[in-house]
Amino acid sequence: MADGGANEDFRTMLARMERDGHLRRVKKSIRPEHITALCGKAPTAIMCEAVAGYDIPVVGGLYWTRPRTASALGWREGELGARFAAGVSRPIAPETVSTGVCQEIVITGDDVDLTALPIPFMHERDGGPYISAGVAFANDPQLGPNAGCYRLMFRTQRELGIDLFTASDLRRYYQAAFDKKEPLPVAVAIGVHVFEHMAAAYKAPAGLNEMHIAGGLRGEPLWMVRGKTVDVMVPANAEIVLEGELLPNGWTADEGPFGEFAGMQGDLKYNPLFRVTAITHRKNPIFYALQMPWENDWLNGPATEAACARILGLAGIPVAAVRATEGGCCGWSVVAAIKKRAGEGKNAIAALLSLPVVKQVIVTDDDINIYNSDEVEWAVTFRCQADKDIVILSGMKGKHVDPSVRPWDLGPGELPTTSKFGIDATIPEGIPAFRYERIVPAFQADIRAEDYL
Amino acid sequence: MPEADARLVTEILGLLRQPVFFRDVLLAARDQPYRAILHAWSEIRTHHALARDELGRYWLEKQ
Repeated sequence: MADGGANEDFRTMLARMERDGHLRRVKKSIRPEHITALCGKAPTAIMCEAVAGYDIPVVGGLYWTRPRTASALGWREGELGARFAAGVSRPIAPETVSTGVCQEIVITGDDVDLTALPIPFMHERDGGPYISAGVAFANDPQLGPNAGCYRLMFRTQRELGIDLFTASDLRRYYQAAFDKKEPLPVAVAIGVHVFEHMAAAYKAPAGLNEMHIAGGLRGEPLWMVRGKTVDVMVPANAEIVLEGELLPNGWTADEGPFGEFAGMQGDLKYNPLFRVTAITHRKNPIFYALQMPWENDWLNGPATEAACARILGLAGIPVAAVRATEGGCCGWSVVAAIKKRAGEGKNAIAALLSLPVVKQVIVTDDDINIYNSDEVEWAVTFRCQADKDIVILSGMKGKHVDPSVRPWDLGPGELPTTSKFGIDATIPEGIPAFRYERIVPAFQADIRAEDYL
Repeated sequence: MPEADARLVTEILGLLRQPVFFRDVLLAARDQPYRAILHAWSEIRTHHALARDELGRYWLEKQ
């Protein structure tokens, strides 16, 4: 459990990040459309306390780096994958409570006005202001409750576009309602704790409630409360909740473009509409504007590292550490350190490249600090022979978001394939370890820099 | 619910006679409060059909 006590909430998490030096407050007035630029230039996450025209502060950049993500979670940086895997392995069902601070203020009917929220315009080519930190909750009669992360584009005072283009559980729920020409009740929470956000981003199998995983990450049940106008449960401590319904208009409303998780401007899409019937929030709520791409990517990073450790374990390879790198969007590129036995450098590459999202892999011995890119590069330089130690696999499952697979050449419904590669940067078989003996400064342990500098 | 500023709506409608990005709307109305721009945009999206191109630009569809 994080150090904030039972059912730690979003603002307790922010307080820890502020104590750790990962969040600072901005007092100077700023317009909403300038917040993303400031987040990108700030050395920490920021809370803009004076958003011009609004009395709601905006926080952004929370999960921009591994250290910030670790601070938000209250975990050490090197244990993100292991702690995430432990949480997933012991799900805990939420606890229903009768009241929640997310409903201290309830706005319904004609008073609903989305412009009351400081929804920021984020990227130069976006189709409009976006709610980027929404966690959507919905129910299905067969599969039960589901939570997931979906972007929402401002259209009117009561309508948002929602991206349901790619396959997801919510898309499946919506499709079932759409086939019956019925709206789907949905609630979107903005400003939930990283445990809930990370669990919602996790691709859990259909039928597994992501909020059980949130409980596993917390080590205690998440408190959830029923919506005021929809029969959907939401985290009781959320900052803001939008209640409403996905209209049965199908994939007909223009939505996007939006700056996407891979760091590239996405396409214009046609998607369903979300009509808002109520806005509920805490007194003095905080609006969370998740900043693309790194915050989105880091929400998946621990899950990727957990999946890599698991598949290496299944392959019988002793793993010392796994790092999902930021340049690979915390999923597409992975570095793994292993306690290698003969041939296991290549075995590790084969195992890791079998994961759908992983596209490139570097495998090192466990004497390499894989969190230091210079050390990884050193291992690649001196432990790898390109003609023997680079593994290329072709014709594997790819993703549309990767322009290098030329997705525009595909027919409707056709899935892309991709090539993947791995670099075996472990000490080659037959070369004795002493050949790699590292230089050590004489009397290193006896000298303290602070005594001289 | 506050009403949109009619003059701002007219100004944005004028801009939408040719394809523009949403950023251009914000830029043209940068002397106005952000919320007023969103009110005007809401009004336009409610009462006017907007066309889009693959780049994401908007313009007024001919009625």
